[in-house]
Amino acid sequence: MSDCCPSPVAAAVAPILEARDVSVHAGAKALLRGVSFAVRPHQIFGIIGPSGAGKSTLLRALNRLTDMIPGFRVKGEVRFRGASIHASHVDVNALRASIGMLFQQPVIFPASIAENVLFGAKRLRKIARSEREEVIESALREAALWDETKDRLRTPATSLSVGQQQRLCLARALAAQPEIILMDEPTSALDPKSTQAIEELIVRLKERHTIVIVTHNVAQARRITDWIACLCIRDDAGEIVESACCDAVLDHPQCREVIEYLAHTP
Amino acid sequence: MTRAFSWFFSLIAAATAALMVALFAWQSLPVWRHEGWHYLSGTKWFFRQHQFGAWPMIYGSAVVSLIALLLAAPLGFGAALCTAEYLPRRLRLVVKILIELLAGVPSVVYGLLGILLLRGWVYDLFARFDPLSGDTLLTAGLLLAVMILPTIVTLSDDALRAIPSAQRRAARSLGLTRAETIFSICIPQAARGFGSALLLAFGRALGETIAVFLVVGRQDNNVPASWFSLRPLLEAGQTITSKLGGSETNIAYGDPLHWAAMAGLAIILLLITGAVTILGSAFARRSDA
Amino acid sequence: MRKAADAVLALFAGLCALIAVGILAGLVAVIAHRGAPALSWSFFTEQIRLVGASGGIFWNLVGTIILLATAFLACTPVAIALALVEHVWLRGTRGRRLLRTALYTLNGVPTIVLGLFGFLVFVQWCGWGKSWLAGGLVLALGMLPTVTISLLERLKSIPSKYLEAAASLGLNRTQIVWSVLLPQAWGSVITGSLLGLARSAGETAPIMFTATIFAGATLPHGIKDSPVLSLPYHIFILAQDSFDPAVGSKLWGAALVLLGLVFLLSLIALPSRLRLHEEADV
Repeated sequence: MSDCCPSPVAAAVAPILEARDVSVHAGAKALLRGVSFAVRPHQIFGIIGPSGAGKSTLLRALNRLTDMIPGFRVKGEVRFRGASIHASHVDVNALRASIGMLFQQPVIFPASIAENVLFGAKRLRKIARSEREEVIESALREAALWDETKDRLRTPATSLSVGQQQRLCLARALAAQPEIILMDEPTSALDPKSTQAIEELIVRLKERHTIVIVTHNVAQARRITDWIACLCIRDDAGEIVESACCDAVLDHPQCREVIEYLAHTP
Repeated sequence: MTRAFSWFFSLIAAATAALMVALFAWQSLPVWRHEGWHYLSGTKWFFRQHQFGAWPMIYGSAVVSLIALLLAAPLGFGAALCTAEYLPRRLRLVVKILIELLAGVPSVVYGLLGILLLRGWVYDLFARFDPLSGDTLLTAGLLLAVMILPTIVTLSDDALRAIPSAQRRAARSLGLTRAETIFSICIPQAARGFGSALLLAFGRALGETIAVFLVVGRQDNNVPASWFSLRPLLEAGQTITSKLGGSETNIAYGDPLHWAAMAGLAIILLLITGAVTILGSAFARRSDA
Repeated sequence: MRKAADAVLALFAGLCALIAVGILAGLVAVIAHRGAPALSWSFFTEQIRLVGASGGIFWNLVGTIILLATAFLACTPVAIALALVEHVWLRGTRGRRLLRTALYTLNGVPTIVLGLFGFLVFVQWCGWGKSWLAGGLVLALGMLPTVTISLLERLKSIPSKYLEAAASLGLNRTQIVWSVLLPQAWGSVITGSLLGLARSAGETAPIMFTATIFAGATLPHGIKDSPVLSLPYHIFILAQDSFDPAVGSKLWGAALVLLGLVFLLSLIALPSRLRLHEEADV
């Protein structure tokens, strides 16, 4: 760990999510090789790197969404709260509930705004009818969407703008009470204003959650992340070539691939 | 040139289709004049006495098709869920190919199997209800169930596959189980497609001729004494199609009234299947809009 | 509880699929098992004797092939014309929707009604009597929607950049049809036709009043009163009134041949159909 900038989270704190020598293969082809990193609680952990380096794949390996992709094999170990997520007794669905996810394109279910928020939550735990309003409101508030939607909770969620939809997805994930939220380029489909709203939101969420965010946008990484892992392609498979606190990676990159990548990225 | 030819052939096709409906309607006029609405509700068909009541055939067609639908629907939906939601891509293709092949089996082959196997099974299985033979409405319904199964599976599978997989991924990433994802995401969104599959399968069942002809017993004037008993299903009956497919059609042509009665059956069948098909395709279209 | 529900649904779905596939397997197995003993070279080259108890199915095969060839030749130009009218010439969605609805409805018309239509128009009014041409035309009408729809889907999937490129070269619509659309669409005409033919090959209802008799026909010598023999009708008649074991074995043999023919036609069409389907899927 470099000492160029003080880490907001002490390295002494036990990591909440840890990858140890993770490799992902699609059939015979290696997508990721020997990836290791540790995410500490209340950190915003950024993953940057050129397209095709396997950033999204890595993210999906963290909550075992890779299980759903035929032909994908994950090797190595991912530990959540110190326990391997691949252990046989792990309830995958419970795991995914505590590690929420936000996709590149907002995925809205064809139902009302309120139903979208409760979509996962009401199946994961008992929520009395009387509590529902409260759950919806707090999730929407946390996602900074409450003021815009409080008067039309029963209208179809598809009527929202894309930026609002992405925040609704976030509210939906939050209602499931996750500890970690994975974000896969959450702002790449959004206009600058919505992007800014989401970024502010992410920084606020840090108080109560831990965030792992994949981003294409170096400026964004600089604005919000605490720690950055740079994923680059070496020998046709993604590897983490550099991992350090935000400014260290962006201002004093050590490794040739990262220097090249940063030079070509605004 | 190309344009003129395209229009020319298309008009021929359109004219033929229109002609078909008009033709049967026109040819059936005498029987409507002769019987009036009683043609639809009458239960006696004795062509030598010029007595034409189509009700037993309408009843037969409806009952046979409903039995088929009742049996094939749960099985078909289950199989479609399996191919669309559970099987990996390659295996899914294999199963779909096999099911499409099942759809291609000629109805005369189904009929042959019905005659040589199914009617014996039905006779043995229900022996204690004392059926006259294995040629019953139930036998025809069972056979039809197998015949419409591929339609239901294929169309339901299409409806399920039309749902973007991002939706499933999002639901799973919230921690829902596969079953919960299916019930909360897939089935509601595919419901219209399922409905359309049922309607189109129903249309096919109503129009199926040869297989039904071979196992239904072709007994005229059979209507149930009681609507609340299942026993009438174990009797021979007659459907619209089995009537039209029989040798009576050849005899009928010489006698305008008798022929009109046959043409009347054809127009009834055309109207019902047409309505079911149009409804079914309209259903399917709106589901992807 | 949630896990149990998950497992139950998976089990149910798997079971259903297994039953569906099992029915097909059982059906093919029964027919193959009973029909195989009847197959021999002479079964294909001899004509029927003794009301099906002896001899082979040569003229039945020939008749079926004549019917299919007629249907193919009659159906293809009309299907191409219809598809072009829908895709190229008709502007405005109402006409298109009407045409599509008409096609789907025609697809749903029971085949026996098509048969009666042919009986009335060709056999009686045109005075052809039972004739191969009448049967072929009725079968063509039956497979018309399948071929047209297959062609339409293909035309729709041709990227518009090709059309724009061709139009920017100054080609008019007819030229675009011949230079861009049709060259890319021939494959789907064949695929659609094979599927339609596979269905037609097994149809009995459309041809029983219009084209085929049980015995005594060879090559047709004209249009009037020239019926043919055919496989499905052969099976249909024998199935109804024969319990002679010798007939039984020939009957299953004929069913096996018919099933083989139908499967062959649909399997040839399969690869390109799957490609289209899976591309659309991704």
